[in-house]
This record gives sequence, C-alpha cells and structure tokens, in this order.
Amino acid sequence: MMRMKCRRYLRLYRVIISQFFKIILQSRVDFFMGLFGFFFSQILGIAFLYLVFEQIPSLQGWTLDQLIFIYGFAQIPRGIDHLFTDNIWMVAWRFVVNGEFDRYMLRPMNILFQIISEKLQPDALGELLVGILLVTRSMIKGIVITDALHTVLFFVSILAGALIYTSIKTFFAALAFWLKVSGPFLQVAYETANFAKYPTEIYAKGIRFMITWVIPFAFVAYLPASFFLKAGGSPVVIGMECGIAAVFCCIAYFVFERGTHVYESAGN
Amino acid sequence: MIEVSHVTKDFVMPKKYPGLRGAIKGLFSNEKTVKRAVDDISFQIGQGEIVGYIGSNGAGKSTTIKIMTGILSPSDGTCFVAGIDPNRRRKENAQNIGVVFGQRTQLWWDLPLSESFTILKEIYNVSDQAYREQMEFLNQVLELSAFFDKPVRTLSLGQRMRADLGAALLHNPKVLYLDEPTIGLDLVVKDNIRRAIREINEKYKTTVVLTTHDIGDIEELCSRIIIIDEGKKIYDGSLEALKDTYGTKRTLSLEVKQIQKASGFSPAEILGVREEECITELDFENSLLKITFDGHKLQAPQILSTVMNEIEITDIQLKETELAEIVKEIYRHGTEGE
Repeated sequence: MMRMKCRRYLRLYRVIISQFFKIILQSRVDFFMGLFGFFFSQILGIAFLYLVFEQIPSLQGWTLDQLIFIYGFAQIPRGIDHLFTDNIWMVAWRFVVNGEFDRYMLRPMNILFQIISEKLQPDALGELLVGILLVTRSMIKGIVITDALHTVLFFVSILAGALIYTSIKTFFAALAFWLKVSGPFLQVAYETANFAKYPTEIYAKGIRFMITWVIPFAFVAYLPASFFLKAGGSPVVIGMECGIAAVFCCIAYFVFERGTHVYESAGN
Repeated sequence: MIEVSHVTKDFVMPKKYPGLRGAIKGLFSNEKTVKRAVDDISFQIGQGEIVGYIGSNGAGKSTTIKIMTGILSPSDGTCFVAGIDPNRRRKENAQNIGVVFGQRTQLWWDLPLSESFTILKEIYNVSDQAYREQMEFLNQVLELSAFFDKPVRTLSLGQRMRADLGAALLHNPKVLYLDEPTIGLDLVVKDNIRRAIREINEKYKTTVVLTTHDIGDIEELCSRIIIIDEGKKIYDGSLEALKDTYGTKRTLSLEVKQIQKASGFSPAEILGVREEECITELDFENSLLKITFDGHKLQAPQILSTVMNEIEITDIQLKETELAEIVKEIYRHGTEGE
C-alpha cells in the first residue's frame, strides 16, 4: 500500500516536472539570465570575504581557506532546497491571499507535494555550482577531513540541512493561512540564513543564540562545516542537525496541515 | 448524494476603522468583527439531480460550494458528499467530485491543453482505457479537438470554459459543481455548454450543482432550485412551483387604434376586482395599453372582451412574468423579512 503510494507520487512528480521543463525550455533566455544572476551574486559574496581578509588575516582563529569552505558548504543545502521547493514562496505571497490555493484543495493529492512538484528553480544551480566548486577547492587544498565517516556524514548533513531549510520555509509560508500574506516574515527568516555562512563566534550573543536555537541555520552551515574542518570534532553535531531537521519537519508540516483547515479562500 | 445539515460559516475579520488614524488604531486593537456568510443551511440532493443554487452577490453561494468541495471547513453543522465529509477526508472527496469555477481556470496556464489532460489523468489515476473512452465522449460533447494542442492561455473564453468542463469530468466524478459556468459567454457557446451538461447528466447520472446569475441556465437545466439570501435558505423547490407561487402576474399588452379613448378606462372597476389586481398603464407614444393582472383571479379572455367592448385593438401580446423578475421579487421579500 505504502509502496504503491510512493511509486504513484514519484510517477506524478516525473510527469508534472517534465511539463515544467517544457515551459522552461521555451524561455531559454530567462533560464540563463537567472543562472548568470545567481552566479554573479555568489562571486560578489566571495569577493567580500577576500576584502575582509585583506584587513584581518584571521577571524576568531579561522583562516581564509577555512572560511571559504564554510561559505561553500553552506551553499549546497541552500541550493538543494532552493532548486526543489521554491514554489512554497508563492503560498506566502500569493496563493492564499488571492484564492489560487483552491486549486490544490480540489485535487486528490497531498497539497504540499502538489505545490513543490509544480516548479524547479534553475536559479539555484548557481548556488549549487559555487558550493560544489568551493568544497572541491577545499578538498584539493587538503583542509577538509575526508575519511569514510566524514564523507558519509557530509551527505547526511547536506540532506538534513536542506530539510531544515524547507521546514523553515514551509512553517513561515503556512502563517499565510492566518495572516493572508506571510511573505515579509518568510523573507526575514530566510535572510537570517546568511548569518550562518560565517563563523557564529563573530556575532553578538543574541544573534548567535537565535541562529543556533530559534531559527537554527547555524546547524545547516557553520556547525557541521566546522566538523568537517577540525580533527577530533564530535559527530554528535551532525546527529543534532538530523534531530533538528526531523523536529522542524514535523512542526512545519503540522502547522501547514492545520493551516489548510483554516484557509478562507477568497471571494470572486 | 449530498447532505448538508445546519451548516454555518463565519468569517472573522479584524475590525477596521476609517482613515490613517483608524488604520493605526486597528493595528493595535484586538477587536474582531464576525461576518456570517452562511447561516444554518440544510438541504439534500439526490443522485442525478441538477440543482440551481442561486442568490445575489455575496449571498453565500460560493461559500456553500466551497464547503461542499472541501476548500472551506464549516464553522458549524455537517456536510456529507457521497457519504464522505469533504473537510475531514479531502483527498477521497476530491476523487468523487469535479469543479469548474467560471472565473478561474483549474488548468495549467502555460501548458497545451493536451498536456494538462495528461497530468490530470495521472492525478486522478484514470486507467488508459477509461481515459480513451472518456476523451472520446468529451470530444464529442465539448469539441475539444479543435484546440487540444494550444496552450491554455491562448484559448478564447468559450474554449477555456469547455476545456475546464472537460478537465473536471475526465475522472467521471459523481458530483459536478459549477460556479457560474456560463459567465461572459455568448449565446451560442452558452447553449453548447448547457447541452453538454445535460448530456453528461443523462449519460452518467452525474449530480450537478450550479450557481448562476443567468436565469437561462436555470430554465434550461435545473429541475430544482435553491435560493439563498444573506446566508439563509429562502426557497427550495421546483421551478414550476416557484413560478406558481410568485409568478402569477401576467401582462396583456394591447396595441390600440386610438389611445386617447383608453384614458380613464379601468377594467378593474368593470370586472369588480381590487385596483392592484388589475393595473392599467398607458403608453401614448406607441399607442399601447398595458394591463397587468393576477393570474389566479382573472383570465386573459375576460379582460380582453372587456377591453374590446370599448376600444378597437390592432395587436395583442400576452407575457408571463419572467423568472428573473420572480427572483428579484423574492430577494426583496427576503430582505424585508430581516
């Protein structure tokens, strides 16, 4: 039963996404512009790091190479989430307030699945590409630990990180069911992820507490990244990341599910 | 097939105050206003019925439809469609129903219609054979093949409505909800859509609930109508019974040779009925004598012979009160009762 359901949803995903590709390919210019734009903003981010390090040779004991790894590592889960679940933003900004959400309520499929499967965000390829490039660079430079345990946990961490991103996005988007538009809140929550691209020690206590325990983006980027950088680090940090991913996933899905029951649609 | 009992829906809104100061005040106040969109409505609809659900704008039609389709949850009362509570078991209910909102398409805007149908086939788990058969039937009644390969956004309104109707019927639902299916369409397309709805209802015994402002839809499709006003049900019954109760006024329009002769002429007096049961109007410009009378009290020939005794007539026309006017009348009564 469960397996049949899974297979059906996978098949659906393929059918829906392949339609999406047909549309995307019709507007190739948009596709490349998006890709280029994101790549460009990534390059600016790294240039910023270089500028900072021209002034300060080390930051709380981190070298530039290490910081570049943290930065690059942070891009990967973000890119994965961005690539697959970008349509959730539309719930926060548009679908609920103008009643387009009706459409999803009328189909015999999981609602969140319908929303996610309707779109892939090619802009995310910019983030993924930069992330992979920078991580590869760090591996070549030999500053990352690459034994079997760390390699496996690397992939686990990336998946858990992407899941945390998606959960936070879903949670704040679901607030739209009560607020009509929750885009601004989602925007703020999502932007705090940018803090976690750098070592959290450089921030004031309040911010550090928030990005570690309230909106736990530190567990998506900085904390696991440092596990891969420093010998003797405890794998517990990856375990915690997975735990947080599971808990946030449940909370976000529960809130979203409750939200669909208070959804008020919109008048004609 | 559909059982709605004592359904009420309240929308809670933060209280608004006028002006900029009001807007700021509203930001900090916790006062709420409750708008009751649907107020204790009950009805049952059997399999194969076509029911017109009518009411003025904001009367609560769409809200009721949205409760029955599972989009909205009722604040109070229960609703079952084919034995399923649409709010609790949304996905199962969705498999049983088809929905067309006249003002908003359910199709994928950028995709060719054929691709939309491919996706819907998967979503509703329609087998290849059922798909082929249903497409053949839909093609025949809705003539989809003419624009089957065009993107939805390039379709005309009439084509889009046919496409939407086809999409809602692909999985052969037990219940079809149509929210203003003929809005903005020209007469020929309206006729096509109505015929298609009738054929589907006859072939599959599909239960149809439709809301409309177009009285033509009701007269041609519905055996039963439910009227709501300000969230309350004010009429539920057959179209004939409605006409019988409310539509008893008939108008006799007579073209006369010399209109001057008709001034001061009062058939009510001659026939011995009250003035409001037989009203006379004169139209000097067109030389028309209009007599509106109560169909229960008087017969047209009676009046006609009374008139012909006095005045020379060149043409005669007898008009029944139109449904549109009956509905208007009912709305007036409905609001008077408040």
